[in-house]
Amino acid sequence: MKKKMLKRFIPLVVCASFMVSGCQQAGQSAATDQAMKTASVVKKVEANVYKGKVVGVSNKAKTISIEVGKGDKAKTIMVKFNDQTKGVEHASKGHAAIIKYEVVGTDKIAVEVKPKLAKLPKGVTEVQPDYVAGLVTQGVEKGNYFLVDSRPAGRHHEGTVPSSVSIPVPKITKEGALAVLPKDKTRELIFYCGGPT
Amino acid sequence: MSTKSAGLAVKAGYTNVKVMLKGVPGWKKSGRHVVASTKHVKDGNIVLVDLRQSSAYEQGHIPRAYNVPFVDMEDLEDDLPSRKSAPVVFYGTGAEKAYKYVSKLGYKKTSVYQQGLDGWVAQGNTLATGAAPEEITWKRILGKGEVTVATFNKVADGESGSVILDVRTKDEVGSGMFANAIHVPLDEIQAKMSQVPKDKKVIVHCTTGARAEMAYKELKAAGFDAYYLVADIECEEGECEVADE
Repeated sequence: MKKKMLKRFIPLVVCASFMVSGCQQAGQSAATDQAMKTASVVKKVEANVYKGKVVGVSNKAKTISIEVGKGDKAKTIMVKFNDQTKGVEHASKGHAAIIKYEVVGTDKIAVEVKPKLAKLPKGVTEVQPDYVAGLVTQGVEKGNYFLVDSRPAGRHHEGTVPSSVSIPVPKITKEGALAVLPKDKTRELIFYCGGPT
Repeated sequence: MSTKSAGLAVKAGYTNVKVMLKGVPGWKKSGRHVVASTKHVKDGNIVLVDLRQSSAYEQGHIPRAYNVPFVDMEDLEDDLPSRKSAPVVFYGTGAEKAYKYVSKLGYKKTSVYQQGLDGWVAQGNTLATGAAPEEITWKRILGKGEVTVATFNKVADGESGSVILDVRTKDEVGSGMFANAIHVPLDEIQAKMSQVPKDKKVIVHCTTGARAEMAYKELKAAGFDAYYLVADIECEEGECEVADE
């Protein structure tokens, strides 16, 4: 699906660059023009933002379904997209996204889709899969690491990184870090979940 | 999420705390396999594949396992369920290579039972003996709001009290629709909701089930008695049918 989207996007990019050069020939500053456009778009949609998990994307119907709110208040909202929508490739089922939209008649049209990125708490650094793989190859004892799968237990059972321990977020919240983590506080702890959600 | 747990660890005094932000999807994308637990192998709705030679399989294998010897791995392309959501679990020598092969075929929920036969037995589980089943039979468990093909066909045949809602595009509908169906493309569902009956069960379909599920959620939120079908739909010369799995 991603490949298809990319193909669709290339002509767009090409068109856009033609338009920009066209503007310059007409004696206008393309940069100013672009800045003005962006500014007006931002102003218009400032209040209209959905953050949540994308639960469906249809390229045929050009719609994105996004789940917003938590618990009982969670609801699914459908937003349309079109050729002007930026970053549609970031709308992928099961991943968190931030959608800026504007209301046109009864429709909500996405202006821009951005991936929702996790913020690292203070004192925590990010590691890449390659780094974790290096430790996993050494094994828990030699590597002296403690790998924690923070997802719900069911997901852990279905398929996880070798040598990991299942500690779902509600468990560590309820029982406290000291009760579920190793005694040695200098041991390397690595947490992961189902990707940036 | 993992960052929250990591934050709690730092607060509790741990000094070497890291997060693999890319998570399991990033791990898989980097070309590495994931492992399944013994519980999943025992209770999960999975396609368990023993990769050893038939003679070894017949002497003792994990109950429910199919047998596709590693040398015949490429047969899996034809043998596995057509649905790519089928969770395939491998054990035996070559499991990691088989995982890669099957993942490339598009099976996204594939895993390796790394503990294998020895781990299974060591945890006090019994083995089964005898010849392997001739073919893989696996049935997907229906999701919330999903109907079976049989239920859908009954409504398509005119069962009263229910109606089919076709959410495909106008172009797609040009090659045919089910009897007893109304048509509202997914992108017009909000504007045209009044065309959907509120006093009947509404069963939504598209061509695969993806758009149907999205429409189902919209309808459900608006108070409709809605359901949806996940299946391939083929239409030709005005006639539609649900393709066999």
